[in-house]
Amino acid sequence: MRKKNLWTVGLMGALTLFIMGVPAWAADVPGVTDNEIRVGQWAAMTGPAAAWGAVARGADVYFKMINDEGGIHGRKIKHIVYDHQYNPAKTVAGVKELVEGPGVFAFVAGDCTACALAVRDYMIDKKMIWIALGNAWSIKPDKHFFFVYPNYVDEAAIQTKYAWEQMGKKKIAVFYQNDDYGKGGLKGVERQLAKYNAKVVAEIPVEAQDRDLKSHAMKLKEANPDAVIMWVNPTTAVIIRKTAAAMKFAPTWIVPSTLGDPELMNKVSDGLWEGTVFSMMAELPDSDLPLMKKYQEAFKKYGPAGERFSLFTMAGIGFSEPLVEALKRCGREVTTERVIQELDKMKDFKGIFGRITFTPDDRQGQKEVFMCEALKDGKAKKLTDWITVDK
Amino acid sequence: MSFQVIISGIAVGSAYALVALAMVIVYKTSEVLNFAQGEMAMFSAYFAFMLLSVFGWPFWAAFPATLVFAFLLGMGSEFLFLRRAKNPTILGLIIMTLSLEMIIFGLVSWKWGSEPQGLPFPIDSYDTFTLGTLFVSKLEVLTCVTAVVLMFLLFLFFRYTKVGIAVKATQLNNNTARLMGIRTSRILMGTWGLASVVGAVAGLLITPASTLDPYMMWDPLLKGFSAAVLGGMTSLPGAAVGAYIVGIVENVFGSYVSIEFKSVVAFALIVIVLCVKPSGLLARHYVKKV
Repeated sequence: MRKKNLWTVGLMGALTLFIMGVPAWAADVPGVTDNEIRVGQWAAMTGPAAAWGAVARGADVYFKMINDEGGIHGRKIKHIVYDHQYNPAKTVAGVKELVEGPGVFAFVAGDCTACALAVRDYMIDKKMIWIALGNAWSIKPDKHFFFVYPNYVDEAAIQTKYAWEQMGKKKIAVFYQNDDYGKGGLKGVERQLAKYNAKVVAEIPVEAQDRDLKSHAMKLKEANPDAVIMWVNPTTAVIIRKTAAAMKFAPTWIVPSTLGDPELMNKVSDGLWEGTVFSMMAELPDSDLPLMKKYQEAFKKYGPAGERFSLFTMAGIGFSEPLVEALKRCGREVTTERVIQELDKMKDFKGIFGRITFTPDDRQGQKEVFMCEALKDGKAKKLTDWITVDK
Repeated sequence: MSFQVIISGIAVGSAYALVALAMVIVYKTSEVLNFAQGEMAMFSAYFAFMLLSVFGWPFWAAFPATLVFAFLLGMGSEFLFLRRAKNPTILGLIIMTLSLEMIIFGLVSWKWGSEPQGLPFPIDSYDTFTLGTLFVSKLEVLTCVTAVVLMFLLFLFFRYTKVGIAVKATQLNNNTARLMGIRTSRILMGTWGLASVVGAVAGLLITPASTLDPYMMWDPLLKGFSAAVLGGMTSLPGAAVGAYIVGIVENVFGSYVSIEFKSVVAFALIVIVLCVKPSGLLARHYVKKV
C-alpha cells in the first residue's frame, strides 16, 4: 500500500514538474529557440487557387538555401506552411494552429486578401510580424505589418503615366476585376489621368469566375480605346484576349505585375500575349542580377522536380528577403521589437524586387516598378528602368 | 437590339446546353443531381491535354480516346463510387457526387498542377466568320453545331433505340422496369457514362476559348445547372431551351442593363421561372403517388 502511495506521489510530482517546466523550456520569444527561428506562412497549396502554392515553395527554397549557408547567426529557419486552400475560415484555424501549436516568430507572404483580413486582428493581438504579400491598399496597416508589394493604385498610376507620356495613348479604358485588387487598379488609372485632365473612356468590371466575356469585350470595343489597362486574374486575361481577338479588337493591352509571367501567359493564350505591355515589380527571371542566378541554382537544387522558376517562385523569395535581412542585422538578439526596429531602418534594400524602404510611418516598402513588353517566345524585354511613383 | 448580342448569347448558350444535357441525363434516370459533372468534364479535358501535349497524339486519335475515357470515367464513378452506398437516399447520393467532385478536383490538381494550361485544338478560338459588323468565332459555330447534333442524336437514342427506351422505363419506375427484365443497374451505369461523354464534349469545346485549369468548369456547370432547372430537370429539350435562354438573357442583360450583375442574372431568372412554373419550362409537373 505504501509503495503504491509513493508511486502516486512520485507520479504527481513528476507531472507537476513537467507542467511547471514547460514555460521554462519554451523560449521567451515565441518561435525562437537557441538554434531555430520558426517562420509561418499560409498558402493555397491545394484548392481553387493552388497556383499560388508556388509562392510558398519559392519561400521554402530560399530558406533552405539560407540554412545550407549556415543559417542566421547560428539559427536555422524552420519554414512551416499551412495549406488554407484559399479559404478564410481555414486560414484562421491554420494561423492559430501555427501560433499556438509549435509557435512561430513571424509570417511571410500569405495569399488571399479576404483570408488576410480574416486573420489580421488575431495577428495583431499575438504581435506577429508579417511581411505581407498583400497590399496596404486593401489591408489596413499595423505596427507589425510590412507590405512589400507596390501599392496597386500607384502601380496603375505608373502604367498610365507610361501609356500617356511615352506611348502617346490618350484614350485609355480599364478592364478590372470587381474587388479590391481590380478597383485599386482603376483608382490608380483615374488618379493619373486626372493630372492630364482626362478620364477613362470605359471602365468595365468583371467577376473573377466569369468565363463568358463577350459582352465585356463588346463594351470595351465600343469605347474604341487606344489602350486597355486590365487588372484581372490570368484566366480572365486570357479569355478577354481571345474574345477580343475574335472581334478583331486589338488595342494595346497593359497589365500589372500580377500578370507578369509572359512565359505562362504566352502558353495559355495561344501566342496572343505577344506585345502586351506590363509593369513588373521584380527583376525578370533571365536578368543578369547575380542574386537571380543564385536563386535559380537554389531552386534547381531544393525546388520540386519539374516545377518552373516562375513569377510566383520569385514572389515567395522576394517576400522573405527583407525578413532574413532584418534577422541578419539583429544578430543573436532576436525579438519582435528588435526585428521591427531593423525592418523600419531598412532603406533601399535591394533583393530581386525593387528597392524596399520601410519607416515606422510608411510600411509600403516598394514604390517602383518598370515597364516591359512580352515577346513572341514567352520572353520579355525591359522598356524602361525602374519608375517611382509620383503622387 | 443588337443582333450581335443575340448571336453571342446563342454561342455561349450552346456550351451551357451541353452541360445541362449531361446533368439532365443523369437526373432523368436516377433523380440524382450530379455535381461532379463539371469536374468529370474537366478531368476528361485534362486527359485530352495529356494525350495531345505529353504523348503527342494527333487530334483525330486523342479526341475519340478522350470520349472513351469519359465514358469509362462516368461508368466507373457510378459503379465504384455511388453504387457502393448501402440503401442510399437521393440526398445521400447527391452529397456523394459532391465528394466525387472534390476527389476529382484534388486528383487533377495533384497530377497536373493548378497553373493554367492551354489545350491544343484544331481551330484557333479567335478565328472568326464576319458578316458586316457581325462576327462569330469558328469555335462558337462548332460548339453550336455540335450541341444541335448531339441533341438530335440523344433524341433518336431515347426515342428509337431499345436501350434508350429501357432508360426511359428505368426512369419511370425502377422496380417495374426490373421486373420487365431490364438490368436497371447497368442502365444507370450506362447513363452516367453517356452523361460524362456529353460533359466531356462540352469541356473540350469550352477549354480552347479560355484556359485548362482545375476550376474551368465551375462557371459553365452553374450556368448549365441553372439552364437545366429552368427548362425542367427531366426534359432534354427543356434543358437545351433553358440554356439558350440563359445565354441570351445574360448577354442582353450584360450589354444593356448592368455588366456588373451579368453573372447573377441567370439565378434571378430561375427564381422567377420557378415561382411561375415550379417544374421548369418544359417538364411536365410530376406528382409521385405514394
